[in-house]
Amino acid sequence: MEQTDQLILDTAYRLFSDHCGAEVVNQAEIGEPPGKLHDAVMAAGLPLAWVPEKAGGVGGSLALGFNLIRQAASFAVPVPLVDTMVANLVLAESGLEVADTWAALVFDGGQLPVVDNGTVTGVVNNAPGVVSGSLLVVPVSDQGLVRVATFAFDNLAIEESESLAGEARARVTMEGASPVQLSPVVDGMTEDGLRQFCALVRASQIAGAFEKITGLTVGYVKERQQFGRPLGKFQAIQHKVADIAGECALANAAVEQAIRMLSEHHEPFSGDNVAFLPVATAKVVTSEGAATVSRLAHQSHGAMGFSFEYPLQQYSRRIWSWREEYGSEFYWSERIGMSVANDICHGRAEAGQVWDIVSR
Amino acid sequence: MDSIRFNFPAPAIDDSVDSLRMDVRSFLQEEIRNGSFRPGTDCWCAGIDPEFSRKLGERGWIGVTWPKQYGGRELSALHRYVITEELLVAGAPVHAHWIADRQSGPLILATGSEEMKQTILPRIAAGECFVALGLSEPESGSDLASVRTRAHRVEGGWEITGTKLWSSGAQSCQYMTVLARTGERNEKKRHEGLTQFLVPLDSPGVTVRGIRDMSGVEHFNESHFEKVFVADDAVLGSVGEGWKQITSELALERSGPERFLSTFVALEKSIQQGAASMEGHQARVVGSILARIRALRAMSLGVAALLGQGQSPDVEAALVKDLGTRLEQDIIERLREFWPIQLKQNFGDELQYLLSDSLLRQPSFTLRGGTNEVLKGIVARGMGLR
Repeated sequence: MEQTDQLILDTAYRLFSDHCGAEVVNQAEIGEPPGKLHDAVMAAGLPLAWVPEKAGGVGGSLALGFNLIRQAASFAVPVPLVDTMVANLVLAESGLEVADTWAALVFDGGQLPVVDNGTVTGVVNNAPGVVSGSLLVVPVSDQGLVRVATFAFDNLAIEESESLAGEARARVTMEGASPVQLSPVVDGMTEDGLRQFCALVRASQIAGAFEKITGLTVGYVKERQQFGRPLGKFQAIQHKVADIAGECALANAAVEQAIRMLSEHHEPFSGDNVAFLPVATAKVVTSEGAATVSRLAHQSHGAMGFSFEYPLQQYSRRIWSWREEYGSEFYWSERIGMSVANDICHGRAEAGQVWDIVSR
Repeated sequence: MDSIRFNFPAPAIDDSVDSLRMDVRSFLQEEIRNGSFRPGTDCWCAGIDPEFSRKLGERGWIGVTWPKQYGGRELSALHRYVITEELLVAGAPVHAHWIADRQSGPLILATGSEEMKQTILPRIAAGECFVALGLSEPESGSDLASVRTRAHRVEGGWEITGTKLWSSGAQSCQYMTVLARTGERNEKKRHEGLTQFLVPLDSPGVTVRGIRDMSGVEHFNESHFEKVFVADDAVLGSVGEGWKQITSELALERSGPERFLSTFVALEKSIQQGAASMEGHQARVVGSILARIRALRAMSLGVAALLGQGQSPDVEAALVKDLGTRLEQDIIERLREFWPIQLKQNFGDELQYLLSDSLLRQPSFTLRGGTNEVLKGIVARGMGLR
């Protein structure tokens, strides 16, 4: 990462520390909207992190954006920052104009709506980050090629809902809907490329949440005394914490490797074979780890971790929802298995070896 | 928390690393075609073939990171890394030289006398000289600081008496690094008064007895030292530094690819065999295993990069070994669903041979080089819980 990237991350860290405490996150879900956080995030231009400077953005690298996403996840940021970053990047990649509001990518990893004669038809069941007033960014299929359409929030049929963690989700229905903007076919963007990119976004969020859960758990077991000593002095607890740390480190290593690979890729939405394996690896390892990490963290916290007041639940609920989105560990591991088997059968591995594929 | 890095730096893989990998790979394929070895599971511990080690030495693939004056090639840790992982996935019989290349050579380089470096290191690099580890004892396993082997000062050197257990490959080694007590035992300062010696195994008073393990291999040993005399210059480093030496090598020992690739050769064979009919559930199981291996490899390479930067990622290395060794075991349990493991005789079926041998060997994975419980304790300490 560049030095300027680090500056942006440091700024974001201070901003989240100031305006995104545990109480803000809880209140955002059951009462008071996080106004100060909203204003600060917008004022700092964080949603534009991935938008090139010439399009009015920050012009940050892919690595910066993914690290910002990890960091935002470690604060359980209760505004659609990540969703807007991704939507804005898709807008920029497709040559459309970026707005100064929240934006949402109306894409849940399923089939793209279809564009025909300039109008869009299709249903997206679980579009993330759709809040009142969002600019809706819809990747659409034009005979198998990807174009990008935008809509105003009020112009589509939207059924709002929430993820397990209270994050905005929505079913968006388009029947011959006329977009505000419609891009030409976007070079180097495919449906699977979008799926992979979004899967890596979720993997990065899970990895960021793992770090927070690790920190919360270590802090709690050092503090909490039972039987006359801190919980952390009990070997049974120490081993649980070590297992959490292991999953956390493994998840982060996998995510970082995928981010590095995608950063070197000239078409991050292409979904080609180079991108596939590292991204799929990251989503499998993070989604698989979610069960272990949440189980051990809750066990170490006792009843306190089960209360709404204590922040652990904001993270366990998030990782349970994120692990399912854009392909669970079951979806991506099946794809890895099939892809490796196909490569072997079709002579696409040196000396017919799985290792040649795995070690790439 | 501060001592755990969840950011692993990228390994610097350049063309020279890639081309070395290809050289090693094609050599191994050629050797397998020639029937020079039969690919085996857990080959870095169970596969002993001094002749094969000599061939690797001839090609310059042992001790590659060491200074040229001592027989090395001054290549990077990453060069060594790719050599070792290619050997592991091929199931090559590399145990004879493995410990000397990984551990004893670097130890001699860091602490040995000049004469030791000049006479022994080039022979290790040539694949002609092997070294065993003399750490565990009958009464001293996980609690290594409790070793009872004693070294007494005598005229011109030391006299060592005691018994070392579980030393892998000692029967084909010329030397053993022996951890012995040289100072009085003090329960308050248990790690003091320990010293490592490089002991020639042909010294008078040494007896090495092979021990058959549950998989039928006689790779580990009980070595008895009865008033064995070694000269002063057999002391590695300074007297009393033994504990510091064995703990400072551990990051390298714990984070290498042998901590998650011991059973890869069985996985490779099963996927090759199952590829044509792969679908659904089987693809999910295989994909999940491969993803975890890839992630562990990224982490292991990250630790190698941290080591290359001169850091001491002890906790991260302990995590690699804890996660990796459990994965090596888990792979076999998960493959059982598709390839049941029943017979000792495999009637020429290579996959059955690799699977059953893996199953019989896997209990040792989470024990050797420090049990996983000890590793978790190290992680907990790194996080400030102990």
